[in-house]
Amino acid sequence: VRDPQLAPPRLHVAFAALGLAFLAIFSWVFFKEQGAEWRSAQARFRELQATVKNPHQLAQSAVAAGLQQVWLPDLGRVDRCTTCHLGVDDPAFATAPLLFRTHPGTWLTTHPVERYGCTVCHDGQGEATDYVHAAHKPIAGVEHPMRPLETIEANCGACHRSLDPPDAPRLAEGRRLIAESGCVACHDIPGFERVTFRGPALDSLGYKLRPGWLEGWLKDPKSYLANSKMGNFRLSDAEISSLRALLLSQKARGPLEATGVDWKKADTAAGRAIFGEVRCVSCHAVNGRGGTMGPELSRIGDKVRRAWLFSYLKDPHREQPETAMLQYRLTDTQVRDLTAFLLDEYRTTDVGPEPAPAPYQDAHAVAEGRTVFVRRGCYGCHELEGIHEPGKIGPSLAGVADRDPEQLPYGGKPVRRTTDNYIFLKLEQPDALGAPSLMPTFSFAPAQAARITLALASLHKADLPASRVVKEVPPAPYHPRGPFGELVTRYRCLSCHRIGGSGGNLSTVPLDRIGSQLQRDYLVGYLLNPGAVRVSVEARMPVFHMLPEEARTIADYVATTFLDDDMDRYDRHFTPADVNRGETLYSQLGCVACHQLNLQGGYVGPDLSNTGRRLRPGWIAAWLMAPNRYKPGTLQPDYGLSAADARALTAYLSSLGVGPTGTARPPAAAGGGRK
Amino acid sequence: VSSRHVILALFLVAAGCHHQAPAPPADPVVDALRAEEQTAGLTYAEGQGKHLFDQYCATCHGDGGQGDGQNASNLNPPVPDLTTSKSVADSSYVRRVITEGSAAVGRSPLSPPWGRSLSRQEIEYVTLYCQALAKKKH
Repeated sequence: VRDPQLAPPRLHVAFAALGLAFLAIFSWVFFKEQGAEWRSAQARFRELQATVKNPHQLAQSAVAAGLQQVWLPDLGRVDRCTTCHLGVDDPAFATAPLLFRTHPGTWLTTHPVERYGCTVCHDGQGEATDYVHAAHKPIAGVEHPMRPLETIEANCGACHRSLDPPDAPRLAEGRRLIAESGCVACHDIPGFERVTFRGPALDSLGYKLRPGWLEGWLKDPKSYLANSKMGNFRLSDAEISSLRALLLSQKARGPLEATGVDWKKADTAAGRAIFGEVRCVSCHAVNGRGGTMGPELSRIGDKVRRAWLFSYLKDPHREQPETAMLQYRLTDTQVRDLTAFLLDEYRTTDVGPEPAPAPYQDAHAVAEGRTVFVRRGCYGCHELEGIHEPGKIGPSLAGVADRDPEQLPYGGKPVRRTTDNYIFLKLEQPDALGAPSLMPTFSFAPAQAARITLALASLHKADLPASRVVKEVPPAPYHPRGPFGELVTRYRCLSCHRIGGSGGNLSTVPLDRIGSQLQRDYLVGYLLNPGAVRVSVEARMPVFHMLPEEARTIADYVATTFLDDDMDRYDRHFTPADVNRGETLYSQLGCVACHQLNLQGGYVGPDLSNTGRRLRPGWIAAWLMAPNRYKPGTLQPDYGLSAADARALTAYLSSLGVGPTGTARPPAAAGGGRK
Repeated sequence: VSSRHVILALFLVAAGCHHQAPAPPADPVVDALRAEEQTAGLTYAEGQGKHLFDQYCATCHGDGGQGDGQNASNLNPPVPDLTTSKSVADSSYVRRVITEGSAAVGRSPLSPPWGRSLSRQEIEYVTLYCQALAKKKH
């Protein structure tokens, strides 16, 4: 008799099948888990641990059991890399197989795994626990596989926003190139908001240029200046001819009258002497040697007209209010000789005589030129009357690193589809990616383009939590006023020197404390006739031909304004014992390696023979104790001196070049000691 | 040639026979940086060390580390040739000289300490570059 409570036989079979299925699935999962890659890795690590030689480190090393993970909720990341990479923060595994090896360098000291995980720097799939899915190598469907070491600095840039990030030289170089190449003239780039890039104003070009020059320049700026900042706009002949008509019709201001200047008496030998004396080469290269702040002058004679050059050298700010070039105080005769020398010495031999200025009145061509000027975004760099900037011509580069690589053009090139590769190709050949491009060709060397790519590949869409971002506070712009301000503007001190974080970086320490740093009389003498403080430095301060009262105005102003009270309060009453001990320290520390003193020593740092007349003691002591605080990257080593040792050295150095009672040795006019 | 190379070669041959895979797509960014490293004959870390060496050290030690920098003639005792120095092989010794100065290892004080100017990472880079200079010579 069938028991009605019992299930029908068909159900028995179903239950049995279900049971078996569960068993099978369970076993499969169990064996798969037991056989997981990371388990065998951990087993191998335990074997390795037993062979590690340093028992102290062994005691501290990770106990390899189970999945390891670092959870970073603020970044939305879970990194399980340390499940296998078990020796990564243990110095005992420095020579272990790669899988278990200690992380190279000191990166984990500054970026501990618990706080940063791994994928923040390396990319890859942090949640995966096997080699393939962790995307150690590119795999389908993973947007950010691990970055090769070569490009890893792009990820430094996601957090480190300063223009000169530490320990990431490729990124820093990329950002420098972006700032110097004028990318910001056409693109908004996060982090570069304070970078400005301006080319010369063009409103008087008709008076400036020899007309034949402009055509070659517009066709390819590099044909005239090998390191021209202007890219090649790949202009058609028609565009060039209309732009030329527009630009040569610009005659807002005629050159300054050269009345009383007799060009027949121009003395190119005297001009050559002035060229050397005022140190044009500190900023301008000739024949490949010299500074880079201004354009190379090797073929200036092919480019500009004589009357214009005379006028420009006499008052550069009248023509180019934003130029970095200073206004020398030269006589008309000196300017004439310098002009004649430049035009005669630096030109192509067959350049021919200067043609008379021709009127350009082809209204149609001028109007057409204006259209080209606007269409190609020339206004991004160059001022031109009547053109009102309609905003930057290029797209903003915010978030460029997160553009979908599948949607980007690669011009049919056989490259892996990554945003990096797209940016690189665009930089190298803007017009070869299958779509017409207004972007000029800059002819970056591949290694440079790669660095710029790294810098741009750090620009992500989503911003990081503020606690992760490392940036520097931008300085407030500094505009000195009054008679001092006029002199700073005339002599363009801020082209090379820095005050309050503003200004150039061609020079020694920032001038913020210069009043506490230099003896006043020394400064006056130096401004009137700047000698070489560091003889091995090529870019030297120009000889301004400054008036004595101007030098005094500057010295008096800085002596009351650019001060550091702690330095000024420094006790300057040194004992002879201090001086003697300082002299001993001077030789013990090996200062002679870099500094000249009594005709002995190296040429790296300043000659110290007249330090007592040059520097103030409070500054000497402060500088010796923390040189990097005042000039990051300085070649002055930080010896970690105690205050007493610094004082002894200060006493010794302050005694150099002054008499025993603190009065100056000849020349007697320079006052040493206290002011 | 180690056994690893042999195995790798065999593996590559086997892979080649089976798949005849097309050339992998190029990575021009990585390639550009690798080409640069290869031209210089320096790894990434050594290349970073070179930048620092050029800035801080070359004025005495010379661009190639041979003790012929522009300031070398002013120094007594003379600047050692890093490319032939036996001490350079010992990385902890090199690191110590860079960090604490040559006086710390009982030599003249003319090579100053850079431990307070450079980060530890930077000192690692310079150390590796000094060793690369010595290796290049051999």
